[in-house]
Amino acid sequence: MLQKKVCLLGGFGVGKTSLVRRYVQSIFSDAYLTTVGVKIEKKMVNVGAAEVALILWDIAGEDDIKGIRTSYLRGAAGYLLVVDVTRSETLEIANSIQARVTSEIGSVPFLFLFNKTDLKEDWEIPEQSLEDLKNAGHVVLRTSAKTGEGVEEAFQLLANRMVL
Amino acid sequence: MLDIPDRISEWLLLLVRSQRSIAYLLIDDELVLSQAGGELEHYGLGDLKHQHSASDQLPFLEGLLPLAETPFLLESVGMPGGSVADVHLFADEDRTWVVLLDVTAEHDQARKMQQKAYDMTLLSQREARLIAKLEAAHKELTLAHRDLAESRDELLRVHNRLRRELHDAERYVLAILPEPVAEPFALEWLFVPSTELGGDSFGYHWVDREHFALYLLDVCGHGVGSALLSITVTNTLRSGALPKTDFRMPEAVLAALNQVFQAEHQNGLYFTIWYGVYHQPTGMLRYASAGHPPPILVSGAREERGEAKSLSAVGCPVGFLPDATYESKECSLAGPARLFLFSDGAYEITGPDGTMLESAEFEEVLTRAVPEGASELKDLLDFARNFSGSKELDDDFSIIKMTI
Repeated sequence: MLQKKVCLLGGFGVGKTSLVRRYVQSIFSDAYLTTVGVKIEKKMVNVGAAEVALILWDIAGEDDIKGIRTSYLRGAAGYLLVVDVTRSETLEIANSIQARVTSEIGSVPFLFLFNKTDLKEDWEIPEQSLEDLKNAGHVVLRTSAKTGEGVEEAFQLLANRMVL
Repeated sequence: MLDIPDRISEWLLLLVRSQRSIAYLLIDDELVLSQAGGELEHYGLGDLKHQHSASDQLPFLEGLLPLAETPFLLESVGMPGGSVADVHLFADEDRTWVVLLDVTAEHDQARKMQQKAYDMTLLSQREARLIAKLEAAHKELTLAHRDLAESRDELLRVHNRLRRELHDAERYVLAILPEPVAEPFALEWLFVPSTELGGDSFGYHWVDREHFALYLLDVCGHGVGSALLSITVTNTLRSGALPKTDFRMPEAVLAALNQVFQAEHQNGLYFTIWYGVYHQPTGMLRYASAGHPPPILVSGAREERGEAKSLSAVGCPVGFLPDATYESKECSLAGPARLFLFSDGAYEITGPDGTMLESAEFEEVLTRAVPEGASELKDLLDFARNFSGSKELDDDFSIIKMTI
């Protein structure tokens, strides 16, 4: 069976664990519980006719990108860069992480996930930033672990890009 | 290696085994699990199958084998059994040893500390955002306040200018009112507009040596528009500016006014007017009315109670109907007598309890004996104010008294 390692990366508190829980267990909690080290989950997806096991590495968020343990990245076939739309600084962190990951493991498929889109009143990142990323050739999806918006699509899209 | 006796090394190994729940796995060059041991149950790995794919059974190995470097460490990896392990990987020729050391206690401790630190950071970030929002709102409010202050100052300037202009207009309105007359008969008046500019105006003048015209008009509404029309009509009458009109004939004067001042050409304004002409040689008064309250003729000496007579005449207000006609009436003004000409504001007065002053009561006041030295018109104004319960009346208070 085909297996692909997927890392979830981003600053702390952006919702990486919540996205994995929503995707794997279809549950959500508003309570914030920080992740230390890494938690690993498995989820089966279909890509074309093939069944693929996604090995999801929910890696502790770090605002200081030097703190990211690059050993966790070894063997990753793709990754998701998670941004909290209510905190503009998390976009800068995601951009820095992306540069660091590329230098560590080379160019592998990845997506930007603009998460917490349900918090419309607190949206802090300008639409233009999202457009700038798209214009730079990146794939950007809007997600909400709370409502489930875009979550399934994000993992499926990354799986497609890793396999096809 | 440490240069220590074997028995101490063995003791240290026992210590680590007791505290770290050591488990191990051996994976061959086909990435198949060939051997496993130690406290696998502690990590939820008790069901591992030998001679089966290692990465299928151990997801955390996905992508790591064969090792690119040795030894290789994955810190704080959550295990299926709920515990947390540091995963040490060692290359041994074609095989790979995987050693698990429990770090659950350290992980939980680190997590508590990190939770507090991140909670604090999130709180301070929220606080900073809130402060930024408050500062932005404060800035907006300050700007709005400044704009409001400027608008208020401008409004105040405009208001003051309008007040000055209204005051000038009010002075003009008062200036065109006639002076009291003492001979050959007495004429005096009292005019108290309800607003700074009212719709009432009046006048009197000699048409010729024998005929004396007397009139009072009331334009509907109050304010500048009404005042402008009342002044225009007054000036028209005073200057005799109605073509082909005999100003000794009240019915002709009102008909001419009605032709000139139709409401559709006066911004919808119309007015009532009473116009009378006193022929001094005969003592006859000829008069006509365009919807105006009839004057009261009080016969008898001033010091005694008089007898009232209403000088009514039929006619619709000026401006209503283009073809309206007016009738004149006549009466003799035999002295001693006082003729009171007024607007509806002098008697259509509402008391604090909502009751209206009745015309009979007003007539009774007019016919009262007047004490020596008293001002009859001022007493009338005081009566009106007392009845209304306020110094400010709802309508213009205009009254002319002609004493024969």
